[in-house]
Amino acid sequence: MVLRHEEILQSPSVWRPRTPEEAVARKRALGADAVFAAGGTLLRTRWEAGTEAIPRHLIDLGSIEGLSGIWLQDGDLAIGALTALDDCLNDPLLGRHAPIVAQAIRTIAGWSVRNVATIGGNIVSRTGDSLPALLAADASLVWIGEDGERTEKLADWLSEPIPDRARVRLLAQVRIPLGGDDSIANAKRFFAFHKVGRREAFTPSLVTVALCGSLEPDGRLTGIRISAGGGQTVPARLKRAEELLTGRMPDPDALGEVYEQVAADYAPAPDPFAPDMYRKLTAANLVVTELWKLTAAGEAAGGKEGAPCR
Amino acid sequence: MIDPKLASAAETFTLQCVINKRPVSVDVPPAKRLLCILREDLHLTGTKRSCDIGRCGACMVLVDGKPVNSCLTMAYQCQGKNITTIEGLAADGALNRVQKCFLEEGGYQCGYCTPGMIVTVTALLNKNPEPSMAEIEEALSGNLCRCTGYGGIIRSVLKAAEQGGRRHAGRHESA
Repeated sequence: MVLRHEEILQSPSVWRPRTPEEAVARKRALGADAVFAAGGTLLRTRWEAGTEAIPRHLIDLGSIEGLSGIWLQDGDLAIGALTALDDCLNDPLLGRHAPIVAQAIRTIAGWSVRNVATIGGNIVSRTGDSLPALLAADASLVWIGEDGERTEKLADWLSEPIPDRARVRLLAQVRIPLGGDDSIANAKRFFAFHKVGRREAFTPSLVTVALCGSLEPDGRLTGIRISAGGGQTVPARLKRAEELLTGRMPDPDALGEVYEQVAADYAPAPDPFAPDMYRKLTAANLVVTELWKLTAAGEAAGGKEGAPCR
Repeated sequence: MIDPKLASAAETFTLQCVINKRPVSVDVPPAKRLLCILREDLHLTGTKRSCDIGRCGACMVLVDGKPVNSCLTMAYQCQGKNITTIEGLAADGALNRVQKCFLEEGGYQCGYCTPGMIVTVTALLNKNPEPSMAEIEEALSGNLCRCTGYGGIIRSVLKAAEQGGRRHAGRHESA
């Protein structure tokens, strides 16, 4: 079959490495002309939108064995970066050990996209909606690069202003610690994830928030992690709001203070149709609502969504 | 005349897969979209082109039984896969249960989104023979219809589930 001229001009060559090391070496050799591809859904969308040029070379990470699947390892839940989002949802280990992450993944794109798109792709986009939940779950990233394997806290990687593009490495796994480190017996663990967009399903996010922690038997909060993202915002932990709550009861004074702190510290990337103030208030309202559900008044009002997760 | 330098940058690639139960072998650029391979190379034009970014679902096909947007899927990702298009849901020009219910309940108007809708609904009912309304709405959130307001579509899905759900529960069915 004869290929049309424009097809050849537009179609990148595709390299199919067998190992992460081979993929890294190929990327080093081809430099800026090559792009790693996992599910390829975000890349394809960017090419169609013209926000990214079609590269000369694609390096298909899907051809590497051992980069997908979910398993328990060294006290962590390990998720292979090439695991399709829908496969994550169908794996009982994720629902059992990181339900907040499952809840977030369920809101990403639609079923047909989740069948192809991968958790690793969602992470390395730096704005994926799994990220706030992974931050709240205190996740780490396992990279394979020219200097071997390296583990880094997700929060640290996201707080780097601009990733060093000269460094060639690929994301192999995301690791989530299996609770128990900061939870005392009888403490009630809670978690919540919210995504606000312009429709109920298959929508880009405007605001995402995630929080988890423990309510001790004496009513104090411990082990609180709060994060927020949405749209083109690189998600981040809201550390001052976390500090403000730690060791306190979720009483009206504390909730009032945390509301102000979330609104002050959450810095959404500009969106032409949703002003910052709207998004700040949305994030603050969602966080405070979840904390209020932990109180007697909240429970009496049927605040079940922030129920204990383990 | 093709610039030999550029031509050498694009590897030639032979896609070998199964489409609608028939083995297919076709020379295409490795990153060519499955949507274009189906329509241009194989003349399977039941799969529709619309948004090109995986939002509208008009190009939905089944890859190994799962619904996938063929506009987002590249040739090399289909190597060795089992692909079913709207033309392959039932054999010899027959209609599958979902297709019949869309006809009976008026689950379409212009019909452009219909092949994608039917592919998604077939996959949904194979996976979950008795879906709740919320599950139907979520499963169809990636299939846009600009004519019907979805009333007829939802009726069609409910009828197909009612007719086949309980009887076929747990059985894989594509026809």
